[in-house]
Amino acid sequence: MSEVEPTGDATAGGEDERESFVGTGLERVEDRRILTGDAEYIHDKAPANAVHMALARSVHPHATIVDVDTSAAEDHPDCLAVVTGEDLRAEYNPMPCGLNEFEEWSLAVDKVRFVGEPVVAVVAPDRYAAEDLVDLVDIEYEQHDPVVDAMDAREDETLVHEDVGTNVPDGETLEFGDVDEAFEAADNVLEGEYSWGRISGVPLETAGVVAEYDPDDDAFDVDCNIQLHTLVDDTVYETLGYPPEKVNLEVPPDVGGSFGTKIAIHRYCVLASVASQLLDGRPVKFVEDRVENLQGGDMASSDREYRVRLAYDDDGTIRGVDTWFVDDFGAFPRYPVNQALKPLSVVTNAYDVAHVRYDYEIVTTNKTSQTAYRGFGVPAHLHALEMTVDEMAHELGVDPVDVRQANLVRPDQMPHKIPTGNVYDSGDFPAALDRIQDIVEDEEVCEGGLLDPDVVAAKRDEGKYRGVSYTVHIEPGVSGSDWTDRQRTETGALEEREREDVEELPEHFRIELHEDGTVQAYLATDTSGQGHQTLVTQLLADELGVLPSDVEVGYLDSVTAPTEYGTAASRMAVMLSGATEGAAAELRHNCRQLAAEEAFGSARDDIAYRDGGVECQQSGERLELPELAELDSGRGQRLTRVQYDYDHPTTERPEFDEALTKKFPVYPTAAFAANAPIVEVDAKTGEVEVLSFYSLRDCGTRLNPTIVDGQAHGGLAQGVGAALMEEFQYDEEGQPKAITMFEYLLPSTANMPDIELEHSETPSPFTATGAKGTGEGGMIDGPVAIASSINAALREFDFVTDQIPMTPHRVRRRLRDEE
Amino acid sequence: MSSENTSHSLDRPTREVTLSVNGETVAAEVEPRLKLSDFLRQECGLRGVRVGCEHGVCGACTVLVDGRSTKSCLTYAVQVEGASVTTVEGLSEDGDLHPIQESFHQEHALQCGFCTSGFVMATKELLDREPDPDREAIEEGLADNICRCTGYQNIYDAVDRAAAELAEADYPRGED
Repeated sequence: MSEVEPTGDATAGGEDERESFVGTGLERVEDRRILTGDAEYIHDKAPANAVHMALARSVHPHATIVDVDTSAAEDHPDCLAVVTGEDLRAEYNPMPCGLNEFEEWSLAVDKVRFVGEPVVAVVAPDRYAAEDLVDLVDIEYEQHDPVVDAMDAREDETLVHEDVGTNVPDGETLEFGDVDEAFEAADNVLEGEYSWGRISGVPLETAGVVAEYDPDDDAFDVDCNIQLHTLVDDTVYETLGYPPEKVNLEVPPDVGGSFGTKIAIHRYCVLASVASQLLDGRPVKFVEDRVENLQGGDMASSDREYRVRLAYDDDGTIRGVDTWFVDDFGAFPRYPVNQALKPLSVVTNAYDVAHVRYDYEIVTTNKTSQTAYRGFGVPAHLHALEMTVDEMAHELGVDPVDVRQANLVRPDQMPHKIPTGNVYDSGDFPAALDRIQDIVEDEEVCEGGLLDPDVVAAKRDEGKYRGVSYTVHIEPGVSGSDWTDRQRTETGALEEREREDVEELPEHFRIELHEDGTVQAYLATDTSGQGHQTLVTQLLADELGVLPSDVEVGYLDSVTAPTEYGTAASRMAVMLSGATEGAAAELRHNCRQLAAEEAFGSARDDIAYRDGGVECQQSGERLELPELAELDSGRGQRLTRVQYDYDHPTTERPEFDEALTKKFPVYPTAAFAANAPIVEVDAKTGEVEVLSFYSLRDCGTRLNPTIVDGQAHGGLAQGVGAALMEEFQYDEEGQPKAITMFEYLLPSTANMPDIELEHSETPSPFTATGAKGTGEGGMIDGPVAIASSINAALREFDFVTDQIPMTPHRVRRRLRDEE
Repeated sequence: MSSENTSHSLDRPTREVTLSVNGETVAAEVEPRLKLSDFLRQECGLRGVRVGCEHGVCGACTVLVDGRSTKSCLTYAVQVEGASVTTVEGLSEDGDLHPIQESFHQEHALQCGFCTSGFVMATKELLDREPDPDREAIEEGLADNICRCTGYQNIYDAVDRAAAELAEADYPRGED
């Protein structure tokens, strides 16, 4: 809205008259239905005549399919339908992949490439019966040597994809500044190798879908818990070979966690849809069981081997960073191939370094494919980078916190453009680092504290080493959308691009007034626990001067909503709040227009929006929102129904032009944390315990501080899990070793330390509400912070954590090697 | 590709089971292999029983069987013949949240909510057994349940709050 609204109603009720809901920890509107068991997750969808699908999956990591015999299954009286890869090849399409040259079918054709890859789908009246049918499917294989080790895969001795011709289908060497000169000029260069294990989100709710084909319309209704249903719906409709409007993806308001992982569940959506089509429209339900989920559910994430070189001077100044890594994407480089690129947005972390080389290779192996996971490739990069900083401090014989402090970007350098073209918006990193150190020294390095020198010495005599490291980390937030297909863009086309070729997806939002007084809002994205309904309720209560109980928040399906990005990449605090505020402003404007045209007979400028209604400045006449809805109901063009698209914050910011044009990752908010986990390492067992986790966090304006803290707690818990216990390991034969929750270990009450949160609030100058993204933080900065504290605890062994997760076995092995 | 679009009457052996679910007697013919979790969800319509792993680790399916917290995914329906089962739906009375549920709400002890029923039921058993648990007892009492969203901090606070509320209100406990 360019015009100024009368009564200065930026907060519609007038700030002096009522308190703002935004900025308070408004209780979540989602909770009641969840607590009473009423919430309907996808697992709970049960149309009366639904039938159930189960999948026969490969038991081999790498084999040619010689024969698929489904006759015994088909002969069973419970069998309703059978689908094979050949059936799909005859009538449907392969699933879109992250790289153009790959052809992945929803059921394997010709070859299987990982243990757990679906080969045959069967349908029966219930799931128990469907699983019985799976046992009757006979698949004959001819086994091949599996490609298991990512570094060996690069040799191309055995190919995962013969048609692609290499196991290294993507990679790029990117130089920013003059890296060679910086390394030559520096006093010192060190090099380290660091490994990041196959770790992922493992939400408590597995993937699920209920698909129903409509033979009359030749269209599909697909209820599912896919993440980003208005962005990645192409993975379903393209595979089915239908236009977008014929395949409607709808996600329930309650999804049992995703953390990025459910972006890649399209296979199941496709298969249930195909089966329903085969059954003339009978609804087909599929819920992934946990073993399927862990073994072959496209559930793994970043799995990297790093080699990092650091150029630095004797005074501790970092001159350049040269990073190379191999990322094991498993059998198919899925949509999140750009997970390999996101670290470019935070390539120097919080340090001021001008010269950077970034060199990566994506490899394919006989493991399940990668999906997205909280942090999207950044956690591994920050770990590798910060470990070299610890190495540097050790080499120089100084306290790591001092070399960190000396290299941090200063507040007078904000906004700060990093070498790759991304811009950090705001923040005082040195002050944050100082403050967390002060807090821990006051609270814990004192009598009775965890780091009481006497206690530390006594523990040391028992073989238990305590330590803490102080580190600062950036959480790059609010990803742009245009750069995300860089790896599917021809090099020539990339070079010729101009700024006007950049197309960012806005955030779409709708509001409707109802005659009963309800303010009905619609999000165009899905939610998996973040409390978006609460956030929108708070914002609209303020913006429209109504009570939170007047607001209802629903979700648009993929056909109704435009293509948009949605809930990922720490976007929603910024994008959803911007869209909600924009839509509310438009609605206020429309309400005044409506009253002008239909009621007051005065000009719109003489009408004010105030306290959930409009008032004529002259006559004092007033209309409430329900009356406005009624007034509007007979009109052709409805003024009380608005939709609004909030543009990505980079679109009007020329400082991002270069990165946008070149398709380098743009993340216009830099939330940050200064961390200090206190750890104790048992040198006898190798066990690491996090005794307490101090974390000072800044995500700009906090729209709902309770939810912000919840995101921090949960992210840090996943950070603890990643640092110490979680990993999808494979044996040398390519068999997955973590196929139950007995092997993929998640943090429980037994291993979570107390989290001591501190806050600072540096509003973003780039966003409508001053908020910065904060959905991923703790998982981004938790593992690296813990690793650095392990280094501090084991300083006398010159120990630098070279592998995540740092399991007891690995700690012991390293210490034994030192001995 | 093959399909047969008819309904089958599944000809599989069944057994009769009679039990009390949230105070009401339920009698059903079930397959012996039917898990209690599926029985409660599908036969009794109690979808607050969540199924997260089906191998007894995550605890999302926790219900009370004769007052003891039990993983319903590791229990067959026929095994609870004659028993009294309480699910999260059996906690709230007259539409009011039970103090444990209310405490989880007040302390923001849930995000995606998929683990919440299980945590609430495990907390119920814990507080029935130990009305004023210290932190160690809470950690131990809830160690069989996994939450992937909250990092547990607010769950600890919710249990503390629930213990205090229950002590204050003299709420009936352990009636099963």
